[in-house]
Amino acid sequence: MSTETKPEAELYKRADALWTTVRDQFAFLRQDPMAFAGMLVVAAFVFLGLFGPYLALHDPIEHTVRGDGGSVLRLTAPSADALFGTTAYGKDVLSQFLAGARPTLIVGLFGGLGTGALGFTVGVVSGYYGGWVDELLMRLTDLTFSLPFMPMALLLLTFMTPNIWLITAIIATFLWKMPARVVRSEVLSVRERTFVRSARASGASNLRTMLYHVAPNVLPIGFLYTAYGVAWAIAAQASLAFLGFGDPTMTSWGRMLRQVFASGNMRVAWWWVLPPAIGIAAITTSVFLIGRAYEEVINPEIQTDQ
Amino acid sequence: MSKFQRFLLKRLAISVLLTLVAVSVIFVVLRLLPGSPFEALVTSGNLNQEQIDEIRAMYGLDQSIWKQYINYLGSLLTFQFGYSILRSQPVWEVLEPRLINSLILLVPALVTTAILSSVLGMYAGWNRGSRLEKASIVSTTLLRSTPVFITAIFFIIVFAYNLEIVPALGMRSIRATPDGYLETFVSLDFLHHYLLPFTVAVLYYSGDFLLLARNGVVEKRGSEFLKLHRAKGLTEMEQLARAGRNSMLPILTYFTLRLGMIFQGLILLEVVFSWPGIGRELVLAIQQQDYPLVQAAVFIMALAVIIANLAADVLYAYFDPTVSTNGGGSA
Repeated sequence: MSTETKPEAELYKRADALWTTVRDQFAFLRQDPMAFAGMLVVAAFVFLGLFGPYLALHDPIEHTVRGDGGSVLRLTAPSADALFGTTAYGKDVLSQFLAGARPTLIVGLFGGLGTGALGFTVGVVSGYYGGWVDELLMRLTDLTFSLPFMPMALLLLTFMTPNIWLITAIIATFLWKMPARVVRSEVLSVRERTFVRSARASGASNLRTMLYHVAPNVLPIGFLYTAYGVAWAIAAQASLAFLGFGDPTMTSWGRMLRQVFASGNMRVAWWWVLPPAIGIAAITTSVFLIGRAYEEVINPEIQTDQ
Repeated sequence: MSKFQRFLLKRLAISVLLTLVAVSVIFVVLRLLPGSPFEALVTSGNLNQEQIDEIRAMYGLDQSIWKQYINYLGSLLTFQFGYSILRSQPVWEVLEPRLINSLILLVPALVTTAILSSVLGMYAGWNRGSRLEKASIVSTTLLRSTPVFITAIFFIIVFAYNLEIVPALGMRSIRATPDGYLETFVSLDFLHHYLLPFTVAVLYYSGDFLLLARNGVVEKRGSEFLKLHRAKGLTEMEQLARAGRNSMLPILTYFTLRLGMIFQGLILLEVVFSWPGIGRELVLAIQQQDYPLVQAAVFIMALAVIIANLAADVLYAYFDPTVSTNGGGSA
């Protein structure tokens, strides 16, 4: 790290290393069929999240599907007019499904990243410094553990108008404790290793030691928990929306399910229930399957030879 | 004072402090809520100012915020939760049956799943790489990561709507008017309503226990003490029993933590099944801005988690000699 190289060469080397990493990861996931299937689902989901709203034939909320005579088609099973059927309010289920992926993606991605980043930082600082810093931060995580997530989130969302960024922020505020604890315990073991000690002995500052010597060694577990964070955030967002505390201006999968449930049409309108329900179940499961494949490699305790 | 006693004392002090902070956070959040449940009464125009003041005084809302805070702390710590504004009943009278309904659904489910999933997990871990292991991991991952209300919806559609084996909603049929807990819970009608939510709860909780047990056994598989047991000529199953026994600790602690969270009910599960538990009651109370009910419910939930956390820490420190009891206790 200390050898001076030209900036461009360094850049190329880095890009090359990055590419190799990506390719290695891909090859790794190919070995595990479940994780590979998960990856395909995630890719399809990201695609839907980015382009879904443009693919939707109709506006998910404004447009009302009408039959030949101009009458509103309410609760009709899938047909040529509406491929996935219509809702009790005469809206196109397919369009809602396509548009509904976006809020799920936004909250999942940013909620997960926020959870991971916050938890990672707290974990590294807490584990590295120890002492009163550690004590303070760990009691803070205890506090967020004892304040139940769902009730607190519901309370907060009653006096702040729910919007998608607020929901993302609330989710990250309550979930960072998970990665924080795990990362901290990893740091505790890395901290005492020889290379960290020698870095400090040779005069590296605390910040430098943390950034260059400790953090890279706990990064894998940080990434793993970021992935789990994504799944948790998606589940939390869907749950909040299902209870009626979602962003009222956006169609999301959770909100679709709420509407079926609240309108009492679950019994008949299977075409209205299945798309969002399968969508949410598929994406959360896929993220976890990918995470598990990595956990087998990252978690040193289950890495015994078979 | 022994090391362990000092550790115990410190943990206890921390728990008390945590309770205070959690309670204060709940207080602040609740006071931030706009409007009050009386606004509906006021705007309906049926009350004059005098009557409004009287009611506000009755609930102590005319006092300064500090006074309210002190009163609130005092009343919570003595378990005097006050009156539910919308149900005009003491809060505890509203919450107690709901809490019991939640516990009667979730405690048996948690115990069942802790035993079944752990045994299955140990067996899967012992046969690492087998088809059973892979299948059990995929299915529990599916059940654990899917939000519980979606699993519940699928089960309702299949078993209640299509196969019509069990009812989809509620805890008893509309005509049933049981008296007392015994009559409520010991009846075929209750069992009939109980089956579906119970099954979903068992499946939902199964994932973590299965994975913990499986990882524990996988971790122990190569260890020396098992080699000794093998050399002694124990059968595979006897070896597994010993490996399993040695990976019980994380499962036990996890069980304790989960038990603490059970007081929150599975809010979504209760909503979907219209199960009259504490989680569903809380959602209703929040929607109707029934402060006293909300703060009592959240307090009970927070307290249960704090106590369970304490219990888990102490269990761990007591049973696992490698956990240091002098510091904050490393992972």
